[in-house]
Amino acid sequence: MTSQMNGGSAGSFDYFAIEGTIDASSERYFKDLPAKVSQSRVKFDFAAAGRINSMGIALLLRCFKEIREKKQAEITLEGLTPMHAMLFKMTGIFLLASPVAAGADGKGDSL
Amino acid sequence: MKSIVAIFKDERDQGLWAAYLDGISALWSITAHEGLGHALERLIGRGIDPCLVILSSRLYPTEDPELVARIRGYFPEAELLLISSSEEPSPPLLPLCADTVRHLAVNSTPGDPLGKEYFEGVLQKLVAGRPWSIGDCLGSQTGVRSIELRSSNQKEGVVGALEAAIAGVGDEFELFRQRGALLADELMENAMYGAPRDAEGEKLFKKGEERELLPEERLVFSFGFDGETLAMEMADNWGTLDPDLVVEYLARNQAQPGGWDDLGGRGLFLIWRFFDHFHVSVVPGKRTVVGGDLRLSRTLDPEAPRGFHITEHKKGDAA
Repeated sequence: MTSQMNGGSAGSFDYFAIEGTIDASSERYFKDLPAKVSQSRVKFDFAAAGRINSMGIALLLRCFKEIREKKQAEITLEGLTPMHAMLFKMTGIFLLASPVAAGADGKGDSL
Repeated sequence: MKSIVAIFKDERDQGLWAAYLDGISALWSITAHEGLGHALERLIGRGIDPCLVILSSRLYPTEDPELVARIRGYFPEAELLLISSSEEPSPPLLPLCADTVRHLAVNSTPGDPLGKEYFEGVLQKLVAGRPWSIGDCLGSQTGVRSIELRSSNQKEGVVGALEAAIAGVGDEFELFRQRGALLADELMENAMYGAPRDAEGEKLFKKGEERELLPEERLVFSFGFDGETLAMEMADNWGTLDPDLVVEYLARNQAQPGGWDDLGGRGLFLIWRFFDHFHVSVVPGKRTVVGGDLRLSRTLDPEAPRGFHITEHKKGDAA
């Protein structure tokens, strides 16, 4: 298991940094994650995330759907590699969560 | 001699494919523009009984959804190949499920010398009933490495070996390695957890659980990289993958992005989208081979149309 979420509230949003491979072994983490959301905006940072396979995509979709439906929160994604962006576009992740455009410094715009 | 019939919407459509079909022997090219029934009757009158019928996506499935049923009325034994331009939107796949059309070829961008070579290879294999092979798309001197899997714990090691084989630096290579790694991951997950089924067709193992292979089970992952093309395949001796279900998985996942919670075949969908060419070959109850190739110089457009070839062989065939 190499996926980690560093949850925390920073100002008016919840922040989760995703690390490592996201696959079937990440199931427990993503099941528990929506309960940790307390703000109306949630930011996920994928800069340290590695390979995301189809099971990982399914877990992200379930997690994001629950956050949107049960917490009524908006989700933004930052630190996406071109590979992540392609995957998310193909699989409908971007229908649930918006990518943050990288700034000139390579970091996403803050919420 | 085995013949091929190609059916286009009109002369313009026919002209777009002329370069790909030029030089193909025993090929009869007709257009629906002046009455398809009449043209087909003429072919039958000449004793033409094709083993392969090529259909243009400008005709089927959108413009003439009944076309496959009509073709099968004339040539019930013929294999069907739908062809579509890479510069047009992907044809809807759900009608292909209903009509059991299992082959879709998308032409390459104009000027790509490998495009015609690939297209000719597809036709030759369909006519001869030969399955795709990993060596078909690699340079002649390229070695293919095969790894027999014994445990789910080998997956990361195999992915690492594949990544190491793609020697090169820079963003282009990094993205290519990531594509290859994801494909290897999905192919192995599919074979480890999707293929093993009991007599009722229920899965024997759950994704995420560690498992050793059963005594009679054989899974072999093979790959090769010739500096431009990465080819890989995963072979299992279960033969449980239903060819019609593969097309249905691709179609439903394509039609419902974001509906992954309710849909099966997510891994196969990603495999299809990330390969440049995707092949499945099944000998029911005996062997399944899922594989394909991707090219370093070809950028991955998430929305670009993709082809597939899903072949079911009889038990006596070599798949």
